[in-house]
Amino acid sequence: MLRMIITVLMTLVFALPAHAVDGTELLKEVDRNLSPESYQTYRKLINIEPDGRKKEYTLFSVKKGQDRVAALFLAPASDRGRSTLRLGENMWLYIPNVGKPIRITSLQSVVGGVFNNADILSLDYATEYNVVKTEIGGSLSLLHLKAKNRTVAYDRLKMWVDAEKKLPTKIECLTEAGMLIKTLYFKKQKDFGEGIVRPSVIETDSPLYKGYKSIMIFADIKKRTLRDEVFTLTYMPNLESLRR
Amino acid sequence: MKLLRFKNRWLPLFLLLILILTPAASRAEEDYSFDAAEIEKKPYHLGGYVEARPVLFVPDKNSALYKLNYYNHPAGKTMEEYNFRLQLEGSYEKDIYRFYAKTNTDYKNAYSGESERSVFYEAYGSLKSSPSLKLEAGKKTLKWGKGYAWNPVAFMDRPKDPNDPELPLEGYIVASADYIRSFSGPLKTLSFTPVLLPVYDHINDSFGQNNDLNAAGKLYVLLYDTDIDFILLTGGSKTTRYGADFSRNITTNLEIHGEIAYIRDHQKTFIDSNGTAYLKEYDTTSYLLGLRYLTAIDTTYIFEYYHGGTGFTEDEMKNYYAFINKGYQSYESTGSDTLLQRAATLTENNYGRMNPMRNYLFLRISQKEPFDILYVTPTVTGIFNWDDGGLNLSPEVTYTRIKNLELRLKAIFLIAGRDSEFGEKPNAYRFELRAGYYF
Repeated sequence: MLRMIITVLMTLVFALPAHAVDGTELLKEVDRNLSPESYQTYRKLINIEPDGRKKEYTLFSVKKGQDRVAALFLAPASDRGRSTLRLGENMWLYIPNVGKPIRITSLQSVVGGVFNNADILSLDYATEYNVVKTEIGGSLSLLHLKAKNRTVAYDRLKMWVDAEKKLPTKIECLTEAGMLIKTLYFKKQKDFGEGIVRPSVIETDSPLYKGYKSIMIFADIKKRTLRDEVFTLTYMPNLESLRR
Repeated sequence: MKLLRFKNRWLPLFLLLILILTPAASRAEEDYSFDAAEIEKKPYHLGGYVEARPVLFVPDKNSALYKLNYYNHPAGKTMEEYNFRLQLEGSYEKDIYRFYAKTNTDYKNAYSGESERSVFYEAYGSLKSSPSLKLEAGKKTLKWGKGYAWNPVAFMDRPKDPNDPELPLEGYIVASADYIRSFSGPLKTLSFTPVLLPVYDHINDSFGQNNDLNAAGKLYVLLYDTDIDFILLTGGSKTTRYGADFSRNITTNLEIHGEIAYIRDHQKTFIDSNGTAYLKEYDTTSYLLGLRYLTAIDTTYIFEYYHGGTGFTEDEMKNYYAFINKGYQSYESTGSDTLLQRAATLTENNYGRMNPMRNYLFLRISQKEPFDILYVTPTVTGIFNWDDGGLNLSPEVTYTRIKNLELRLKAIFLIAGRDSEFGEKPNAYRFELRAGYYF
């Protein structure tokens, strides 16, 4: 009997961390399946109003490693040449007319709509969040994520992951008190080449913006080796030169 | 057979329903692709901006600057002004070389007459041998500093208008380099920007004293998530000056910034109420502290305090206004405008510069799409002159629904007494509409 109790206790002791580790590993797999560690991409952001009217932005983006992202606006003409940079929790916006990068915050949005700067210049989820709970059931796993610090835009995330493809299908972004800020829906899986197979469309809506919807469409994702110096304030006016 | 009849009767309706619903279905299913031409890289780029800006002024006929500007051609109760602006920009890029140019043409039809000025705001060539090193030569703007309304450390730029700080500015002819290094650890980025600025006949002659080659440099570091710049300007055209600035995000919605400039041997020319000129030379400091704060309901606050050590004191400004009033009285009694002409000379690049006094507070409150009114952003900006108590208050509303078109309706109210900076401006109120289109 004592042996049985010890066995059960040992199983419980080792099983609990094993679940946590599984969740963390799954999150890292999700990150790598969504994008290579360093890459370039072309995206379109569309803000859709309740009456169906749209406003579109086209961006060229590059990312390197855990915490470096930069994006350049290609369209519309009124925004062409603007660029944004993220180094960890530091974010800047460069507007050609203003002529110098200004600091922006993750909760602002350089394009309006439901996506904020943290969504547009997103880092790997595992960089910003810890897995606090993993629910595995059927074809979907549910990861409960908690921000590693207070500078992260959303305090908590609930991420539904396709258990087979290891890709997110839906993410709910929540405040510390559990209030829903927005929901991201991952759609239209696409083969981008070089082994990158991932959703090509992210839709978002928010109870804070009733009737509004924003969509992010990925046209192209390619692995790319980039120098660290590309992700600096001084380089922001030159991002166009990275396009080939 | 019955069933067949039923089918036959309902089939057309069913097909009609499909036909009606199909476009709706395809509308609901968004077109999730975009044209490759949109992202195709071209070696050249052409674009531009065109603007119409009618302005209605309500003059303050008792103000000193109204008397100075309109003593010999008094205006009516209102004055209209029509401004048009055309900016063209183009770039060409090949391998490591790039050429960029931006022109600006301003046309003004005002009460005081017509004027037109066309100039290259920027025109420079770049050579970028690697992401770490870039060399540039030509006319360009540097825009140093972190402040929104003022930049005491922008030693190499023309002053910006705190009423419209985001307007593009004309550059100077310079040769510059950017050397960038990235690191891991608390020091993430280091970059150095040396600049040479010559001042000779027809080259940068508005910058300062002629026949001198000026050298400047900016050392930038991103250290412990804080942007920090150290800046130096030396040469003969302006006195030597040192500067530093910083900017940092405190939380996800709060940013703070600051600038400080130490200016050696600054020479200030000022007058007494009789017009006798004095020259004072002294070392001085200018500085700025500010913040940007975004609330949960998308209200943005920008607040700045600016101290300009090169500025005039309240008494010095009072003497200047007293001299203009004396000149106006002299003109009215004798018909001679000698004193007013002298006052006009003193105004240019001296008393007449943007915010010529010492201490200012700036507050800009901007609310994105209030009450769910889309693409509408109302903003109110206040510039408070701490020294004389005057207030420049400007509410505005922008509308950006139409792609590439920006409409802005703005008013400026000057709430200030006599002998104060805003109280002695030629206009009491100003209303303007700006329609700008990007192409």
